[in-house]
This record gives sequence, C-alpha cells and structure tokens, in this order.
Amino acid sequence: MGLEEQVLASEMFDLRDTLGQQGITFCYSGYMTEGILLGIGNAIKTQMQLGDADAKVTKGVFAVFVEQVQNVIRYSAEKIGNEDSSELRYGILTVGSKDDVPFVACGNMIETKDAERLRDSLTHIKGLDRDGLKALWKETLRGETPEGSKGAGVGFIDIARNARHGIDFDFRKVDDAYVFFTLKALL
Amino acid sequence: MSTLHIPATERTPELLFDFAANTFSLKGESYPENIAEFFGEPVGKLKEHLGAQAGQRIAFHFALPYFNSSSAKTIMGLFSLLDQAAEDGNDVLITWTCEEGDDMQEMGEEFAEDLDAAKFELKFLE
Repeated sequence: MGLEEQVLASEMFDLRDTLGQQGITFCYSGYMTEGILLGIGNAIKTQMQLGDADAKVTKGVFAVFVEQVQNVIRYSAEKIGNEDSSELRYGILTVGSKDDVPFVACGNMIETKDAERLRDSLTHIKGLDRDGLKALWKETLRGETPEGSKGAGVGFIDIARNARHGIDFDFRKVDDAYVFFTLKALL
Repeated sequence: MSTLHIPATERTPELLFDFAANTFSLKGESYPENIAEFFGEPVGKLKEHLGAQAGQRIAFHFALPYFNSSSAKTIMGLFSLLDQAAEDGNDVLITWTCEEGDDMQEMGEEFAEDLDAAKFELKFLE
C-alpha cells in the first residue's frame, strides 16, 4: 500500500467520520434529479424499515425528504442548462438521527432578493401550532399558486406538519447575488 | 367516454376512471415528477364528464398510502369537483382507504371537512 493510498483512504474515512459524528446516515451533495430522489428515497425507506423505525416516523422522514429534494430540483439558484431543454440544480441533503430524533436537512443557493420573503414565510410557519399549520395548509391548497412557484407552494407547510420536533432554518450570505439557505426538519 | 386506465408506477398511483359506470379510483403512492403531466388530462376529462351528469350514482375511491404536497392540491381539486357534482343533483360517495391512525386518515378527514353535498366514508385497512 503506497503512502498516497493511505492519504486517500484517510481523507474519505475522515469525511465519513465527520458525517457519522453528526448522526448522518445519508448524504448527497450535487445536482439533483427525480431519478436520484427515487433511488435515495427507496434506500431511506429500506434502511429505516431494517432499523425497526416506527412506520409513522419512516413515512414522515420520507415525506420531508421528497419535499426537500423537489424544492432543490425546482428552485435551487445554482444550476446548469436551462428550463426549456434540460437543467440540473445543485443542493446538499443529509438524513440521519441525533439523540434519537431523526432529521432531514437540505441546503441550496437562493437569490438574495428571495431571501427575505422566504425568511418571513418560514418564520410564520415555524410559529404556528398543529391547528395553525393545518389551517394554513388548506388555505394555501385552496388559493392560487404563488408567483414563481412550480409546485403547489405548500411544500414548506407540509415539511413543518411532518416535523414533530420542529424545523430550523438559516441563511448565509455567499456574495451580493446569492445566499445559501438551509432547512432542517426534526421528526 | 371510454375507460381510462393508467397502471401504477413506483411514484404514481393506479388511475382507473370508468366513465360509463361512474366509478373512479386512485390507488398507490403519488409523487409524480410532473404533476400536470400525470393528472392534467384525466382530471380535465373527469371535470367535463361530471359536468354532464344528473341524477347519477357516482363513486370515487382513494387509496393513497402517501402523496406529496403537489398531489395534495390535485386531490383537493378532485374533492371540490365531486362535491360540485353532488350539489348538481348526483348521489356522490367518496371513500378513503388508509391505515387507522395514519397521517393519511387525518388528511382524508381534512379534505372531507370541506364537503357540503358529497358523502364521505373512511375505510381502514386490516
């Protein structure tokens, strides 16, 4: 075994160890596609079932995972290609468990101009109790799809409804044009 | 109108719309890659069909173990179409099959809260 190989293995082991210390069992960083969603989604379900996780928790983790990944596929500001032909959008996703509380965390670039609206919207959602979330969910489903939305615009409310231990979110400035956005759901 | 049948895939439910018999069903997980591509045409046809019904017995069966938030919007739209058909003088029954105590029970009940004329029945899997 050459010295280079040992460094290579050490680097990968250290990365794995860093993830492990945070309780992360799945990590994906890169361009996200619907095919990746399907593949990782199935692996998450299988892993949780094999680990004897509660069926409700497994469904919740899967549901949050789908909304998080579809958010990246549709809205991440870091992308290649274009909407008319084919495009790929970049995000980072982690799934794991810390102190017996499963989590799904996802991060992606957003345009600075969208950060305030997103922060307001998530602050509002985070402050609601179960009944409040249910009311907002129905209101949003009934209403017109918000401008600039390609889905139902209820993804974040859905995530919060599944997150029995709450949601956390954060924004980090990257440059004048972009902010890195992270949303973590605790189930 | 003929019967519309789309077999289930890993991420889209089996869709069976028997227009002649006025029985309709959606069975399976629903998180399509493109919501409009999957539901657009069937829901359009259903809307057209229901609008032409009077004094008919209409049944819609939902058995969805999981659906994503954009599917939720479509399901709510279907409930609204069916309720309208009931208000127009049809006998409409919506059945919702799920596991007892599952989140899907809550979802079904929440959709049903908005019904004025259509009947709603919960069915639990054994």
